[in-house]
Amino acid sequence: MAEHEQHDHDHIEHDHMTIPKYIGIFLVLVVGTILTYFAATVDLDFIFPGANTLVALLIAFTKMTCVMLFFMHVYWSPRMIWLSAVASFFWLAIMFSYTMQDYLTRDPGVFSP
Amino acid sequence: MSSHSETGKFHYHEPGLQHQFEDMGQQEESVSIGMWMFLVQEIMFFGGLFTAYLVFRSRFPMAFAAGSNHLDAFWGGLNTLVLIVSSLTMALTVYYAQKSNRNMQVIMILLTMAFGATFLGVKTIEYRDKFNHGLVPVQGWNKRVPADPNAEHETKPCWEVDHNAPAVEHPNPRGEFQFADCSLAKLAEGKTPEENFLTAAERIGYYSNGQIDGNKFRDKVRIFYYLYFVMTGLHALHMIVGLALMTWLLIVAWRGSFSEDYYMPVEMSGLYWHFVDIVWIFLFPLLYLLGRHFMHGG
Repeated sequence: MAEHEQHDHDHIEHDHMTIPKYIGIFLVLVVGTILTYFAATVDLDFIFPGANTLVALLIAFTKMTCVMLFFMHVYWSPRMIWLSAVASFFWLAIMFSYTMQDYLTRDPGVFSP
Repeated sequence: MSSHSETGKFHYHEPGLQHQFEDMGQQEESVSIGMWMFLVQEIMFFGGLFTAYLVFRSRFPMAFAAGSNHLDAFWGGLNTLVLIVSSLTMALTVYYAQKSNRNMQVIMILLTMAFGATFLGVKTIEYRDKFNHGLVPVQGWNKRVPADPNAEHETKPCWEVDHNAPAVEHPNPRGEFQFADCSLAKLAEGKTPEENFLTAAERIGYYSNGQIDGNKFRDKVRIFYYLYFVMTGLHALHMIVGLALMTWLLIVAWRGSFSEDYYMPVEMSGLYWHFVDIVWIFLFPLLYLLGRHFMHGG
């Protein structure tokens, strides 16, 4: 059984999350959802047009980060997993920005009246 | 070929270890990376739809806001909470699998499935509501409401339609997409860029002969509903696949196959389930809440 003990060290570490921590993350997500709803009913256009969408997306990104880091255990995952997760958003950003630089320069759109 | 078959002597290896891997650590890492590659392509898959959303919303923001205000934010918000609870129970499934607790695993998988099914049930209520009110963007896919030949014809301009009025059963003999309310475009008319102005695309897209044209406005709202059905439909499809996955997981967990030595199938199914949750975290504000702040007169 000595060898068994040795093999145990090869597992990806998984003893970081406890039930109270899971509940805590869950509560953050619930608060985020409620906050999203009420932030959307307040007119924030006096800051700048589209401020509501920015706030909604900021909350959504926070919630996503919580889910990815703790529910999906990315926080304790190998570098390769971090790289995949970050890279996917990098590709997404390329797709959004290159598409929009075409549409926004054809004629005035929402960002340039 | 693993070493124990060569020597013919018993050589301990983990019960869940496949022969092509050196040890559990390498196997777990390979499995995770494979799953994450799948999730990355899923992100790009949904990303295409989010790009379409971005393009059309930046062109016709008022039509998108008007369309969004006719979605029911209560059901959308409830579904967000339901999915978050299901994510918690899924995370706890993985936790109990790591603790080799078979009974709690089975309970948590059942709870996850129940919440997933609740989500789909609420989605069905919403889709049926859209069907009844002529908001499905395909002709003939809406409820057919025969026209009453004795009814008086209302000729109100589209911007005078009260969007808070109770849903009226408009005649819809051919089951077409219907959207009568263009009050948001009227509200933004003549406003400056500092306020809720109309974009150049909107000035072309909503107007006929210098007047807001209800038919042209409706066609832009229809783009919103098209994206709504494709995005939520694809998400619902992922939920159905997730439920199938959970059914399989339930059977295997029921047999007590998962323990602290071998739980990667639970962990990987969890990754998929959380991914589907994350997609909804973005769909909820982007589809249901984007025009909410105009509702009190903007």
